[in-house]
Amino acid sequence: MSEHVTRLAQAEEFARQGNVAAALAAAEQALSVDDKDAHTHCLLAALMLDEGFNEPAVAAAARAIEIDTQCAAAYLVLGLAYDRIGGMGDRSVLVWHELAEVAPDLAIAYVQLGEALYSAALHDEAVSAWERALELDPRDSRATYLLAIAAQSRQGTGAALAGFRRAAEFDLGQDEFFFALAGFERLAPPPAALDIAHIGPGAAKRLEVAYAFAAHEEYLKAAELIRAVLSESPDTVSALALAAYLYLKQDAINEATACALRAVALDGSDAAAIYALGMTLARRPALAHHATRLFSTLAEIAPSHTMSFVLLAESELALQHYAAAGDAYDRAIALDPGSVRALFGKAVVSLTQGDHSSAKWALGRAARFDIERAGCFWALYDGMAKGACQQ
Amino acid sequence: MTDDAALRLYRSLVRRDSAEAISVVERARSEGTSQDVLFDELFAPAMAILGGSWADGSIDEYTFAQAAVVADQVMSFVTPPVAAHDTGATVIVGSMHGDTHDVGKNIIGSALRDAGHRVLDIGTDALPTAFLERAEQSGARILIVCAETLSSALAVTRVREMFEMAGIRGIIVLVWGGPFAADPSLAHAVRADGMIASAEEALQRVSQAVPGRADGASSE
Repeated sequence: MSEHVTRLAQAEEFARQGNVAAALAAAEQALSVDDKDAHTHCLLAALMLDEGFNEPAVAAAARAIEIDTQCAAAYLVLGLAYDRIGGMGDRSVLVWHELAEVAPDLAIAYVQLGEALYSAALHDEAVSAWERALELDPRDSRATYLLAIAAQSRQGTGAALAGFRRAAEFDLGQDEFFFALAGFERLAPPPAALDIAHIGPGAAKRLEVAYAFAAHEEYLKAAELIRAVLSESPDTVSALALAAYLYLKQDAINEATACALRAVALDGSDAAAIYALGMTLARRPALAHHATRLFSTLAEIAPSHTMSFVLLAESELALQHYAAAGDAYDRAIALDPGSVRALFGKAVVSLTQGDHSSAKWALGRAARFDIERAGCFWALYDGMAKGACQQ
Repeated sequence: MTDDAALRLYRSLVRRDSAEAISVVERARSEGTSQDVLFDELFAPAMAILGGSWADGSIDEYTFAQAAVVADQVMSFVTPPVAAHDTGATVIVGSMHGDTHDVGKNIIGSALRDAGHRVLDIGTDALPTAFLERAEQSGARILIVCAETLSSALAVTRVREMFEMAGIRGIIVLVWGGPFAADPSLAHAVRADGMIASAEEALQRVSQAVPGRADGASSE
């Protein structure tokens, strides 16, 4: 193995571990051996960007593209660097266009392109780009949020909220939140061959397995177990809360409401039951006040959860209580600075206050965290490395 | 409302008798239960009983689903109307001549509309005469003039002059935009009655200006 390859492998390993300083040193050593490798320049660019050295990141990414015009990961870094530097709208649009050409199936290229176009006041073109992103990936939550923000600018906050609700459907964090409230976090999937009839003894074990099935989207099996638990003990609040959750998943709102109301009637402080009831009522605009009351209670019961405040904020938005919504979003962002949903919500509130710079800040942070969490750079980088190997 | 009204509503749901369910609701209303509490005091207890009956097996899945369908039909009778009541207040919203920004104007306009106010949006780059003409046509007495550039903000004074020249008094001119936020004294300088810093404040100011409605922002 050549020294360059060894150094590059070291740099990649350090970078994946988050040890940026060591990764930078190894990447520079790799370049001192061979400065004509696009991968190394691309990795160096990403590391520079991570450290906030935007101009050097631009230089390294541009060099990577010069060597390999198909280097998708380098376009990503270059575009992000331009966006962070600011005031480089034209170049940013160009780079995202190029990324979309190099990787035509990459939804994020269109999401970013749309953002750059929107910043350049090309709103219709931006909306088209986000719609294209959703064609490529119908579950792309950022494209959905951005379309909601665009709708807010044209049709008001009500239109934005409708988009937020669509985006929330893809938000796995909300499901995790429910399971955490119920005391069933990170449940392993039950074995495929598990015989439901023989789970037990006792309701507690059945309940736990029911939650595990539900967490892994085996809703029918979860429902069967819940039925068994309730036959034995009909006043089991956790079982009723899960029943409400399962009905919500099927859009059976009234059944969900009945189960959740029964659960809350039995125990008015059960967080999972309050969540389930709040979610059913939030689906009905006329009951937005009721939903706000419930989410307000939930925020008191579960103040360490970001989602408690996100849901409260969204219900306040539905009531046009923008300042209260802003406060709740601030609490959510304080708990999780990378909460994309809270950051988009904060942007909506900022726009109602005419505070475009805060809105832009929130959108920029949302983009940054979303891209990091999705692992976009590494997906493109590894894909590129794989392509090189195949060649 | 009698104590067993919730039980009667529950029974009518289970019997899939939507006419009876609605009549239970109407009876409660005629006995003085206000629309605001029908959901809490009648519908929610009935639905809790329904959930309990499903949980203890008193009713089967099919009956539960059918009862839920009837509950859906009853829902609109027990919830407040979605659309806010018409406040009767007409508000003219527009971006000042020379200003093509429309985001703030649109957000404020839709917030006011959602709260039940009648909004006349005269768009961007609106001449002072456009504000006057629409006010004369509609009888509106509240204007929200948006301006995101200093030159357009300074030009707001011409809106007031236009109304004075036409002999129209009692017009409330509220201003919105970056220049006013940066220098609150600017609103006074252009002879506006006040500056609004957010959509929520717009709702409050307009509500205060509407007779009999000083309750602020929401469409409660």
